[in-house]
Amino acid sequence: MSEAIVTARGLAKSYLSGDRRIDVLRGIDLDIAAGESVSIRGESGSGKSTLLNLLAGLDAPDAGTLAWGDQPAAAARRAQFLGMVFQSFYLIPEIDALANILMASRIIRAPSETERARARELLASVGLAERAKHLPAQLSGGERQRVALARALMNAPKLILADEPTGNLDEHTGDAVIDLLLGLCAETRTTLVLVTHNAAYAARTARQLFLRDGVFR
Amino acid sequence: MPWYLYLALKQLFPSGRKFPFFTAISVLGVALGVAVLIISTSVMGGFGHQIRLMTVDTQGDVQVRADGFINNSEEVQALLARIPGVVATTPYAQGMVGVLHDSKAQYPGIQGIDPARIGRVVPLQRYLTPANALDDLDDDSVILSKQLAGLLGAQVGDKVEVYSPLLIEKLKKDNLLLPRELRVVGIFEFGHQALDSTVVLVTLRTMQDLYGLGSAIHGINVKIQAGLDADEAAARINAALPPALHLYAVSWMDINHDFLFVLQFERNMLFFLLTFIIVVAAFSVTSSLLISVVRKTREIGLLGALGGQPWQVAACFCFQGFIIGAAGTVLGLGLGFGVLAIRDDIVHLFTRLTGSEAAMLRFYQFSHLPSYPDPAYIGATVVCSIVISTLAGLLPAWRAARLQPVEALRNE
Repeated sequence: MSEAIVTARGLAKSYLSGDRRIDVLRGIDLDIAAGESVSIRGESGSGKSTLLNLLAGLDAPDAGTLAWGDQPAAAARRAQFLGMVFQSFYLIPEIDALANILMASRIIRAPSETERARARELLASVGLAERAKHLPAQLSGGERQRVALARALMNAPKLILADEPTGNLDEHTGDAVIDLLLGLCAETRTTLVLVTHNAAYAARTARQLFLRDGVFR
Repeated sequence: MPWYLYLALKQLFPSGRKFPFFTAISVLGVALGVAVLIISTSVMGGFGHQIRLMTVDTQGDVQVRADGFINNSEEVQALLARIPGVVATTPYAQGMVGVLHDSKAQYPGIQGIDPARIGRVVPLQRYLTPANALDDLDDDSVILSKQLAGLLGAQVGDKVEVYSPLLIEKLKKDNLLLPRELRVVGIFEFGHQALDSTVVLVTLRTMQDLYGLGSAIHGINVKIQAGLDADEAAARINAALPPALHLYAVSWMDINHDFLFVLQFERNMLFFLLTFIIVVAAFSVTSSLLISVVRKTREIGLLGALGGQPWQVAACFCFQGFIIGAAGTVLGLGLGFGVLAIRDDIVHLFTRLTGSEAAMLRFYQFSHLPSYPDPAYIGATVVCSIVISTLAGLLPAWRAARLQPVEALRNE
């Protein structure tokens, strides 16, 4: 049996809107195995991003438990355990593409020459070897997302959480980014959780989940 | 280098940008504050230093005084000469006289000096015109201060009449004593308004005659070994003086205690007030960094998502305040010392443009702007500037540290 990467039991999250309580997630159970690719679809406001934030350990559930591998999820382990890709790229505008990729590693420790070489390799693997010294403002949307993807892979994480990674891209560029994301995850046997509205992209993952009314249907 | 320091540097000096506007303006604000502090305290210090030098040059390091007169001057001077640290002594007597020349009268202070000994204690010849005027000073001559000579219209070679209070005493007893006619052999200029306008120098014997002192004097100026503290020397002399002589020694600092206190107080107040320039600059740094925190909310969220701790995010913004403070301080020091180096050119240009060169000389008595950068004030300026600028980064840092990554990332 494959190693479990994510084990969630009874995850629940609610928000207060004025004096009204909105139950966004109502007891989510989820097991994701190493190397698996899972897509999560759902309507706007169905709780996809909330679930992804809980899985990333960025937000705490009101109820339920979450484990990364065989240990409980903990913020201190996040940087090395998982990488994230966001709809809005979130590159740091003051540093170039290569430095943005290295930032993921720099937060853990001062980067060595090996890590610099890995950042250059990752940049090449997303097809941007020639753009290493370019600032985010000098890159197109697709190129920025490819840099963000390389940054997510920098620490060789076990899990990639991608939240609408094509949301800000045109169809053609979005296709290319999804190809790259799925291809790199498959190549490195990195587990992928992809949140998307796009049924075609979701269909390319090994398992498709649909979130409605706070539970998987 | 820790990532938060790396990112602080990159946010201030982004890759590929030759002129980061926010950084330049922030650094310049702090630099101007530092420069103004350096220039002001150095020039104030320069005036103070000159006044201190001039005070020592005219009064000696230590004065030995009596409750009344010193009648055995030679004996006391011999005693002083045996005290370790005492290099030379010279007697003096002082009072007030009336001086008349060409129908113009002035009422200056008068000081009787020993021309043969005074040069060993104070460098009087440095301020004299002609420089060898002391050699010409005898019991029938006088040296006038420059402004007094101007007011009297007297020049070297002229004769002035000197009226002493003794004349009035004699008149009361129906004795007529004629004023003393003295030849002007020199003019002195210390560069001090009070001394240059109201003092004449005569020989000790002339002063003793004018005041009917006999062989008595009012005090003895003492020169001490270089490097020896004047207060310590005064204490040493006081310990060595027999109580029966009823003499006491005071350092030049004690004599001018109130004046020196005012000088120091003025300088401290100036420093205190001008420090607010740095505080104002720091507020603009705070404002800019706060805007930066708001603008970079999502990036701050990302840093949290990548594993950055809240204290590290805070340190990133605190370091920006520190770097602005450090860079501004270095630039300000350069700017301040640069301006000090060309201060005379600036003053000359200003006085030439405003036509105030003569007024400057008349009222402020200087054609050369003094400067004495005190290491203590420079150190205090550097510390204040860097600490205030670093504190300026605290509020933005606190705001940034409080941002939850999930909230920050949601802020689209």
